[in-house]
Amino acid sequence: MTVLDLLIEHAPALIVAIPLFGAFLMPLVSRVNEKLRNILALSIICLTGFFIWLLATDVLARGPRLYIFGAKNLASPMVRILFEVDSMSIFMITITVILAFIALVYSWSFMKEHDGLDKYYTLVLLLIASTLGMELTGDVFNFFVFLEISCIVSCALIAFFISEGEALEAAFKYIVVSSIGALFILFAIGLLYAQYDALNIATLAQVLKYTFLDKIVLVLLVVVLGMKAGLVPMHMWLPDSYGRAPPSVTLIIIGATLASFYGVLRVIFTLYGNVLSNAMRFALPVNVLVGWILIALAIISIIVGVIMALVQTDLMRLIAFAAVAEVGYMFLAIGTSIAALGSPYATTALQGGLLHLLNDALDIGLLFLVAGALYYATKKRLLDDISGLARNMKYTTVFFIIGLLAVAGMPPLNGFASKFLIYESVYQLNPILSIVAILCSILMLAIFVKVFYAAFLGPELPGFKDVKEAPRSMLLAMGLVAGLAIFIGLFPNIVIDTLVKPAADALVNHAQYISTVIGGI
Amino acid sequence: MFTLESGSGFWNPLLWILIVFIAFLLLYGIRGFGRNTYKKDTEQTKAFLSGNKEPSPDEMHVKASNLYWGFTTSLNNVYTALRKMHTGNTSDYVLWFVIILAVLFLVFGVM
Amino acid sequence: MDILELSELSVRIILGTLGLTAFGIIFGLFYKGIDRKLSARMQGRIGPPLRQPFRDVAKLFAKENIVPDHAIPWIFNLIPLVGLIAAISILLYLPIGGFPALFSWGGDLIVILYLLLIPSLSLVIGGFSSGSPYAIIGAQREMATIIAYEFPLAIIIITIAWKFLQKGATNVFSLATITATPVWNQVTGPLGIIGFAILLLVLLLVTPAELSKIPFDASEAETEIAGGLLVEYSGRNLAMFYLMDGVKTVVLASLVVTLFFPYNLSPLLHLASYPGMALDILFYLFKVFLIILFSVTLIRVAIARLKIDQIVYTYWIPLTLASLVGLILVMWDSVVMNLFSSA
Repeated sequence: MTVLDLLIEHAPALIVAIPLFGAFLMPLVSRVNEKLRNILALSIICLTGFFIWLLATDVLARGPRLYIFGAKNLASPMVRILFEVDSMSIFMITITVILAFIALVYSWSFMKEHDGLDKYYTLVLLLIASTLGMELTGDVFNFFVFLEISCIVSCALIAFFISEGEALEAAFKYIVVSSIGALFILFAIGLLYAQYDALNIATLAQVLKYTFLDKIVLVLLVVVLGMKAGLVPMHMWLPDSYGRAPPSVTLIIIGATLASFYGVLRVIFTLYGNVLSNAMRFALPVNVLVGWILIALAIISIIVGVIMALVQTDLMRLIAFAAVAEVGYMFLAIGTSIAALGSPYATTALQGGLLHLLNDALDIGLLFLVAGALYYATKKRLLDDISGLARNMKYTTVFFIIGLLAVAGMPPLNGFASKFLIYESVYQLNPILSIVAILCSILMLAIFVKVFYAAFLGPELPGFKDVKEAPRSMLLAMGLVAGLAIFIGLFPNIVIDTLVKPAADALVNHAQYISTVIGGI
Repeated sequence: MFTLESGSGFWNPLLWILIVFIAFLLLYGIRGFGRNTYKKDTEQTKAFLSGNKEPSPDEMHVKASNLYWGFTTSLNNVYTALRKMHTGNTSDYVLWFVIILAVLFLVFGVM
Repeated sequence: MDILELSELSVRIILGTLGLTAFGIIFGLFYKGIDRKLSARMQGRIGPPLRQPFRDVAKLFAKENIVPDHAIPWIFNLIPLVGLIAAISILLYLPIGGFPALFSWGGDLIVILYLLLIPSLSLVIGGFSSGSPYAIIGAQREMATIIAYEFPLAIIIITIAWKFLQKGATNVFSLATITATPVWNQVTGPLGIIGFAILLLVLLLVTPAELSKIPFDASEAETEIAGGLLVEYSGRNLAMFYLMDGVKTVVLASLVVTLFFPYNLSPLLHLASYPGMALDILFYLFKVFLIILFSVTLIRVAIARLKIDQIVYTYWIPLTLASLVGLILVMWDSVVMNLFSSA
């Protein structure tokens, strides 16, 4: 076997192990030199990205790949952990590593004057490792372990600005909500293990009969993972924590939120894939029921998120409420594809939802980065206090305009491509859903035009005469995200054919997922 | 190849960019026929307030929280209800989680 | 795509853009002149001659281009151009003059719906960047108006697409499909006709709000806030906004004609080639004139200006309910006819 094949074979483990190892190196290296530590963190992420790219070229060409930690053959104590990488996992880890890279480039100058940066970089790399682990794993219990790691690390990172009381309060709310959710997931995993004596998703998916306990497990998993993803009315931790964490941390926590959304997809499409169309309730197949419940909660998310965002005065809280609305769009598309499983427009809806996942991560991330740049320059959080910054911060203004147009779904940026796919598939299920989606997209535009006016336009107040442009690494990070947004907007077909279509096909094709494990033992 | 097709419609971003570029060249040229000059730093460049004297920027600035007054006043009932729902109390967060859990248990036929 | 196709496409793009720019601007100003003359006659005045808007634009190009102290210069100067360009780019996706649309494979109804936002958005951002309190109040009123009228407009577009989907058409949002089989041919009974008539009426009421005409022009209220969001604009920037208003009138009237009345006269009279094309163009211009008469001029001279919260209420409660009734009637149209046909 060549070196390349060896690397590809061990890539799933290396992708999680390298950031983990790097996290533990951080305190040692930061005793030596600060700049060395920053460069080391960036190179760790680049190395992880390289392995992801290697793995992607293999999985996208040849199908799902298995990696076993532990007992390889059917020995009697079959204690092992499975990593199963299919195209959907590749899609998610690509998004995570892009967000991680941009967050680290941004934190180079944003966090420069703060203390305790060795702990910051350690925790950030741990969070990245746990998010990557959540998206690569093929075991339910392993998923729970990585979920718990990301919860605890995120809590510590949200409370980074210890001198502000609100950050500590936000971290406390986050950890209470997350811990309760994680305990319920553990209970659900225990129910599954007690019935079927197996913990990996493929084996469970094959032997799952839709018993009474399985119904409990389905509801628990979907509701808890939906709460972690930010579905209304369980979304209230999201504005608190996104609004108080440092913006580079928010970017990675968005990645963790999207990993919980990925968990919902795995549970519904793969774990319950066999029983979805067969089991009945109220004389309807279960997939119609699950799909319509997700659609109902999604519509409420979109409406509540947009209406609440319109009246916020704190900039980062406003963007967090807009993020809740965007998660609603994702759940709308996914709910449609579940409720209409098998029809041609279900695949379009699924592709639109997955593309919207990528676009939302980039757009909301860009808006948070700009908000961070404003906070860095003026040290103010409320919109009422700042004004007329377009005179001094020209590049930040341009990036904010790109973020505004992208998140509102204006052509020709990336938000329009995914919203186009979502509108033109969801209306076939029920026209009212598409109408609400279009209306709330316009409201999103109104919200960010208000932010644009408040922060950038308007007269120059005397306190802001010597506000300087944001430092270069922050501009570089924002420029990378804006460039990606424009690229995806101008060439949507390239991204869809390379990343999104294989991911959507792999998600629906649960038989292939199961046979990779059962056949590959 | 560059057109996004969704099964119900089409969107070609590159075509639109080309159209915009050509129209921009044409209209920028037409716009150049207009006058570019004005008298700077005279009465002309102060804001027109129907003849009143222009106050200092601090007093003249319309704050962001006063924006969209017309819209928020029309939806006043919705906003009061939503603001009451977002209490900020951690027990309420968990309460909403338990409510949704209970409703979905009922729907799925568990209880 | 080889070189020949590529060069043909690029020639088509360039000539199409130039031609439709000229068409949009000239006929936009022409219809503006007709509108002013007719509304003057209805109010018992004589009114300006039909060439007056052209003279207005020429006069504006000769005036000074004042940029206020508190404005952001690059946004202030660039935004009117952006709005005008976006308004003109919509013309290339609509069937003009009875001919099929130039680039119907490049954009469909949802694209047009979003591109229609850009001119209104440019008015809003222009107002916000003017640095005058009147402009800021006018701009936020305009944004509230946009939010208000998008609700019925979205309902109308989705209903039309949904009806086409029920009848088994593919690519239902594409304008080529909608003009090939007009809307009135897709309904099978009286309920559907009443439903689509209600939707046509709502669309005619949405048009004056999109164009910021009385009674929905709280953002440009000349008597209340001294010109609203255009108060600081002058010279060639104001000329760009003036042209944008004219082009947008033509665009919206063409959209109404395309969605509801895409009929041509030449097949009826069996004319071919050049006389047929000339007749089609004249019939199309006449239809656009009728739409502008009913939805802009008549309403403008008859009703007083509404307050901004009255505007939001009008669009979100009565007109949305009316279009939802239209949607339900269109949905039940096939049900009732099945009842009649099977009974």
